Formats: sequence, structure tokens, C-alpha cells
Amino acid sequence: MTDQNLTHLETWDRRQAEYEESRRVGPIKATFDRMLRNRLLLFGTVLGLIVLGAGFVGPTISGADPNLQNFSATHLPPGSEGNLLGTDHLGRDQAVRVFIGIRVSLMVAAGVTLISLAFGLVLGMFAGFLGGWRDRTIRGVVDFVWGFPLILVAVLFAGGLGEGLFPVILAVGLVNTAAIARVVRGEVLSLSEREFVEAARAGGLSTPRIMWRHLFPNILAPALVLASYYVAVAIIAEAALSFIGLGAQPPTPSLGGMVSDGRNFLHINPWASTIPGVTIVLLVLSVSLIGDGLRDVFDPRLRHEAKGVEQE
Amino acid sequence: MSDSWLETDLGPEVNDLTEQYKAKKIGRRQFMKRMGAAGIGVAAAASILAACGDDEEPTTTTAAPTTTEAMDDTPATTEAMDDTPATTEAMMDDRSGGTLREGYNRDVSKHDPLTTNWYDPAFFAIYEAILSNDPSGATVPQFASDFSVSDDGLEYRFTIPDGKLSHSGGTINAEMVAEFYRGVQQYSFIAGLASPVDTYEANGSEVVMKMKNPWVGALGPHKTGYWRIVNINTWKEHSIGADGNINAASIYGTELVDGTGPFTHEQWVPGSHVLVKRWEDYPGSLTPFFENKGKAYLDEIRWTVITEAGQRATQLENGDIDTLINPAHQDIGRLESNSDLTVIRHPEWSGYHLSMNRDYEELFGDRLTRQGLSHSLDREGMVQAILFGNGAATYGPFPTTDRNYEPAVEQFNQFDVDLANSKLDEAGWVMGSDGVRTRDGVRFEFRYLVEDETTQKSVAEAVQAQFTNVGVQANLDVVDRALAFEQQSQPGRGSVEMSLFFWLWPIPLDVLILFGSSATVPVPNFSHAVEPRVDAAIASWQTSATDEQARAAASEFQLAWAEQLPFIPLMNQNATFVHNNKVHGWQPFVWNLYPYYNDTWIEA
Repeated sequence: MTDQNLTHLETWDRRQAEYEESRRVGPIKATFDRMLRNRLLLFGTVLGLIVLGAGFVGPTISGADPNLQNFSATHLPPGSEGNLLGTDHLGRDQAVRVFIGIRVSLMVAAGVTLISLAFGLVLGMFAGFLGGWRDRTIRGVVDFVWGFPLILVAVLFAGGLGEGLFPVILAVGLVNTAAIARVVRGEVLSLSEREFVEAARAGGLSTPRIMWRHLFPNILAPALVLASYYVAVAIIAEAALSFIGLGAQPPTPSLGGMVSDGRNFLHINPWASTIPGVTIVLLVLSVSLIGDGLRDVFDPRLRHEAKGVEQE
Repeated sequence: MSDSWLETDLGPEVNDLTEQYKAKKIGRRQFMKRMGAAGIGVAAAASILAACGDDEEPTTTTAAPTTTEAMDDTPATTEAMDDTPATTEAMMDDRSGGTLREGYNRDVSKHDPLTTNWYDPAFFAIYEAILSNDPSGATVPQFASDFSVSDDGLEYRFTIPDGKLSHSGGTINAEMVAEFYRGVQQYSFIAGLASPVDTYEANGSEVVMKMKNPWVGALGPHKTGYWRIVNINTWKEHSIGADGNINAASIYGTELVDGTGPFTHEQWVPGSHVLVKRWEDYPGSLTPFFENKGKAYLDEIRWTVITEAGQRATQLENGDIDTLINPAHQDIGRLESNSDLTVIRHPEWSGYHLSMNRDYEELFGDRLTRQGLSHSLDREGMVQAILFGNGAATYGPFPTTDRNYEPAVEQFNQFDVDLANSKLDEAGWVMGSDGVRTRDGVRFEFRYLVEDETTQKSVAEAVQAQFTNVGVQANLDVVDRALAFEQQSQPGRGSVEMSLFFWLWPIPLDVLILFGSSATVPVPNFSHAVEPRVDAAIASWQTSATDEQARAAASEFQLAWAEQLPFIPLMNQNATFVHNNKVHGWQPFVWNLYPYYNDTWIEA
């Protein structure tokens, strides 16, 4: 027996054990146990909670005004008295601006995810399950949007609606909708040929009922996992757009905007760019780790495979 | 001019020579020769000579010099040229060739003096003006070989020598120059700057400029970029439509230029670069302080647009560019400590000010409100934080270094938040629960436009936050340069409510008149301000026949401006030019906005 076969068997055994555990303790506790055992997910969650806490509680604890200027205290380094992370080129407290920047990033990410998940699920399910001209139409539109670079779409939206967070949310949401719709459609196409869908059809269930009761629960988990990936994309996109001036407008602090402002002072105050830059990295890392962990925990194919072991 | 200035900019050897000259140990000729041996160009040496003869601080020439005298005072440049040992041909062999790569801190404007809204360094390569300023600030001929003014000050004569051409090969004689100036009067939006000029006519080889009234400022505008000489026939062919109006789609200045300077227009790519090439048929220069009287040494000049302030110094240090106009203020110290580079700093005739569209009467219609806004601004703080001290706060319209600067303006517009709040209270603005004031149901909130350039954005953001402190919400809108100008320039309420504008002009009074005059609404009087007291001061200036009258008019203009606030003055910055030490003959000086390129060459 080769090492590869051994590994395969170990994985098989582990999944079988997980399935049996879930039957014994109930699905919710089993899922929770799986989450606790996933170190990446744990690390990502802890990191995410820290960043999230900084974004939502930090400004209150700090008590500083993110737009209060002090021209006699510009470019202070981190650790300066009264300015934990130093000050920027206008003497504003860098810490509170980073905290608010996190909040802005997360708000954009939440908005984008809601839009893209809602529309992506609906469009993908309709296209995949209904087929025919409706599939061709939706697929054509989705492919058309997906073909556009994100930044270009954002520039077009900013041109029409003006700079700011709203056009950013719409632009990134639109492109992410296309991404999610493509994946959901593929999943639905695959699920449509499965026995339980055939059985539902044979049982005379209506199309909306099949979609809602049988398809939706099966694609929700992968869609959520995918959405968690696109949360990271949304955060990066918001930072990029703010960096080039299309995102949050002054005086609203944004991490991308702070990196952009700070790069002109790299020689005298490298922290001005570095701190928001590192914050973006931590934010994206935490979301990505959470996404990967959730995929490991929730991917239905893994559970189906495990269930298959018992049936055999 | 102090010795420390000499030593800082040109080195101790020059300082020693200057000391010897001032102590009369060496004569002028000897001084020029030894300066040449020390590698100092004739223009710089002449500038130092002129300064040695006059210990006064540099002053701007808002008054026209008595031209003939000024010519006589021109510091020995022609003599110095006679002493130059090498022949022009030999110098061409040694110095000819290469591309000068220059970093420029702004986006580029079209190369058309008649229709541009800004003129860039390329104008000094592509076009010649009829006159120019020399390093000592004296008016000297450039396209003209000579000029004079009548005793009554009502007639100026400029001699145009034979053999002058434009890039297309067209002859540019006195008639063509006069026709060009008539074109400026007819088509240029900035023509009002020389409104005391009545007519331009040709008389043989002379252009005769007749005045409506004697005016000490008559020559000033003619030395600027907007009066640089174009082949007017080519311009009309491309720029005037069948209806006799300017054709907005003209390719003149973008794809085609027919200028008179030593370089020809080759490429013009907004947001990226401009390229000019040496004009091989250049008839030669008449400008006394140019060392090179023939065609230019450089093969090409390429200006690269670098609006990201932090990138400018880095590109120079990396060798991506050879010369740089206006590095970021925070990088100047670093550049000065680099022995491979030379930094040249001097006062700049420029300023940042805020327009307030008076057609939004409910916001900016009353003086108390404008004064309240002005008092909320910590100009000194902004100079330190944003310009790193490389400039000065302005409480009136003029830079503090202008010779006609009126210090009495400093009684106005001082930073005082309490006073700002009380002025706004008195004006009827009531602080709302959300921290924004209202008056008669109108919320004190408006759109505030700024051009997408690093320093301007910082200034705008600083101002925005200070307005917030007194209950005024300015919603910042950062747009590119062309859009900014367009959105500032509309009539009525079509223009943005408030904008930040950076002006740059060799004679502050001239250009500020344009901003403040009721005759120039909406462009460039972006505030649409009609201030009778300012208008009266402008009228006084444009009828000033003597320096004394000019000074009095300038003083009244500044006081009226500071009190009535057609625009809110903020600060002005110093000009900074940097070149690597392989570049020679590139000598920006205080009197012209940009350097000339006739003498510039690059060491192999």
C-alpha cells in the first residue's frame, strides 16, 4: 500500500469519524467542534475579532477626534505621548484614523457582500436551474460584467455618481455579484442532475419550491464560503480605490487613503503609510483565514463524501 | 543679496570672488573671466554683479523700468560675451546633444498662449517674448532687438530685426508681431491684464504700442507666457472658425505649434509628458544675458508630469530626471544634502487662495461671513505643517516678498477661532445640534473643489477641518486639473461654491487684478465678486504713471482685498528648482517663472 493510499484512507477515516460524531452529538455541536479543531479558522477568528474590535470599539475608547489637526505635532512616531500610533502630516491622531478606517473598510465589505450574495444567488440559481434563453441571457450579462476590470467599473461608477463610498460599494458589489452568480450557476447545474432533485420533480413540486427547499440549502454553504473570499476582495478593492482617490473622500479616514497620503512622507514618517498598510494586510488575512476555515468546516461535498462512507 | 545666499547656492569660490569684487580688488571683466573659469555661467555671474552693485533685497518690478536706462544698467553681459574665449561653433561641438529630462509638478497645459489657462516651462522653450527679465530684474530685449518709451509714456516702440522666423519658416516681422498682439487683445481671456494698451501697429521694422494712458506696468504682461510670440497666421488658420470665433476643437497648442523659440513642439500628452526638439533653423537669440546666441545645445527636452509630490525627489535621486521644478517641501532638506544635486530656492510670486462664489448669496454674500471663515484659518500653522516652513502666511493678496507688499494687511484675517465664531454669530449663523450652522433655514454646507495635486489637497483638507471647527461643512471634491478649471469657470450658480486655487505669476498685482476685477466674472474671478473698492484700486493701478502712484494703488488694492475678501488669502510658497550637477546653464532666477533653455547643456 502506497503512502498516498494511506493518506487517503486516513482522510476517509477522519471524515467517517466526523460524520458519526455529528450523528451522536447533533449537527450544530458537531460543526462547532469542527470549527474549534480548525486552527486556521481559530487564528483568523481571533485576529478578525481584534481588528473588528479595534474598528468598532477603538474610536470610543480612544476618544480622539479623527479630524482634529495639530499643526505643531505633525509626523510624530508611534508611541508618542497621547498618540499611540503617532500622527499624520496634519497632526491628526493616526490610531483613531486607523480604527475608523477599519470600520469604513468593513462597512464597505458588508455592503458589497450583501449585494453580491443576494443578487449572485438569485441570478445563479435562475440561470442554472431554468436553463434555455434565461440561462443564456443571465450568463451573457454576468460574463460581460465579469470581463470588466474592477477598477474600470469603479471609475465608470465614480464618473456617473461622483467619488465616495456609495459608488465603490455598487461597483465592487456588481463585479462580485457576477463572480458569485457564475459559481452558483455551476453548482446548481450539477445539483439539478442529482437524484433528490429528480425525485422532487417526479413528486410534482413546483420549480420555485424545488429551488427554495432543495437547491438553496445545498448552495448556501458554498456561496457563503465564496462570499467570505469576496469580502477580502472587497476590502482590497476599497483600499485600492481610496488609494487612487475614488473611494472615501476627505476627511473620512480610509486605510487606502491613508497609505496614499503617507507615501509622500516615506522618508520622514514611514509609519504614516506602513501602519494602515499593515492593517489592511491583517484585515484581509483574518477574513481569508476565516473563509478557508469555513470552507473546511462547511463544504457539503466533504460531508456528502463522509455520508457516502456509511451508506456503503 | 547676502553672501550666505551666494555660498549656499554657488559655493565658497564664488563667494570669495564676490568679496574681492566688492572690495574693488578685481574689476568687472576680471570678475567675469574668473567666474567663467569657476564654471559659473555668464547669466549667473551677471546676476551676482548686479546684486553687488545694489545691496537691496530683491524686489519685483511692478513698475516699468525706464527702458533705455534699464538697458544701460544691464550688467555687462554683452561685454562678457566678448570676453568669452571659445567661439560659438566650438562651444556647440562641446556641449551639443542630449535630452534634458525635467520633472514638472503640474499637469501640462496646451501650448497656445492665446487660449491656455496656464503656461508651463515649455513656453520658455517654444516661444520668445518681445522682452524678458534678466537675472537682475531689468527688462531686456528678447524677440525685439531694442525698445523705447516716449517721454509722455503713451507710446512704446519695439524694434523687430530682419530675419526673424517662426517654426514653420514664416517671416515674423513687425506687422506680424503687431497682428499677434491684436489677436491677444481680441481672443485672449487674459487680455484685460493689459487693458491700458490701446493699439498695436507696425511702423516699418517697429511695433508701436499706443497707450490709453501712461502706465508704469505696461511692459509687465508682455514678458509673460500669454504674450509670447506666435505665428498668428498659423494660429488663425487652425483656431478661428468660419463664424470668426475661436474653434474649441483646434489642434493648435496640442498637435501643432508655430512658435518663435529655440525648440519645436513634438509631443503633448496631458498627464504624462511634453517633448520639444531643437529648432535647427533658429535665427539666434538677442537676449543679452544668454551665453549661447545660436541654436540650442540640447537635442530635446522632455517634461515629465509628476503630480505625486513624494515621487519628484525620488525620480531625481534615481536619475530618472535631470532637473526638477518644485520638489515636495518635505524633501528639500534631503535634496540639499545630496552633493550630486544643486538646489536653487528663491521667493515665488504665487499664492493659495479660496474663491467663494457670490452667486451663492445665501452663503458668501455678506462680508461678516467671509471674515468669519477667514479668521478660522491658522495660516502660520499650515505653512509649517504643509510647506515645512518653505513659504509665508498671507493675510492679503500679495506674497510678503513683493516690493509693493503692504504690511498693514496683517491687521486683517488673523487666526482667531473665537473671533471667527463671533463674526459668524453676528452674521446670523446659528450653530446646529449636529455642529453645522444654519441661517434662515440654509445649512452652511457647500461643495469645495480642489485640484488633484498633493500639496493642494493637503491645504484643502486642512482648511476643511478648520471650517468644521466653526460649524461650517465644506464637502471636499478632488478633481483633475482640467475639470477643476471648468467647474470653477461657469457663470452664476453653475460654478462650484468654493474652490482652492493656486496662482503663479511674475507680477502679482497684474494677475490678482484679474481675479478681483468685476470685469472678469466668471473667469478668472471665480468668486464672481463685485467689490467697488477693489475695482477703484484696479483703476488707480492701471492709470499709474509713476512708481509712487503705483505703490499707492497697490497698497489700496491689498487693503481693500484683505478687508472685503473677494477671495480668502492663505499663503504663498517659495520656488524650488533642483538639477543634477551634470546639467549646466539651467539657471532659474526669481524674476521669471521658469528657466530658459538656450544655454542649457548636459555634461557627457
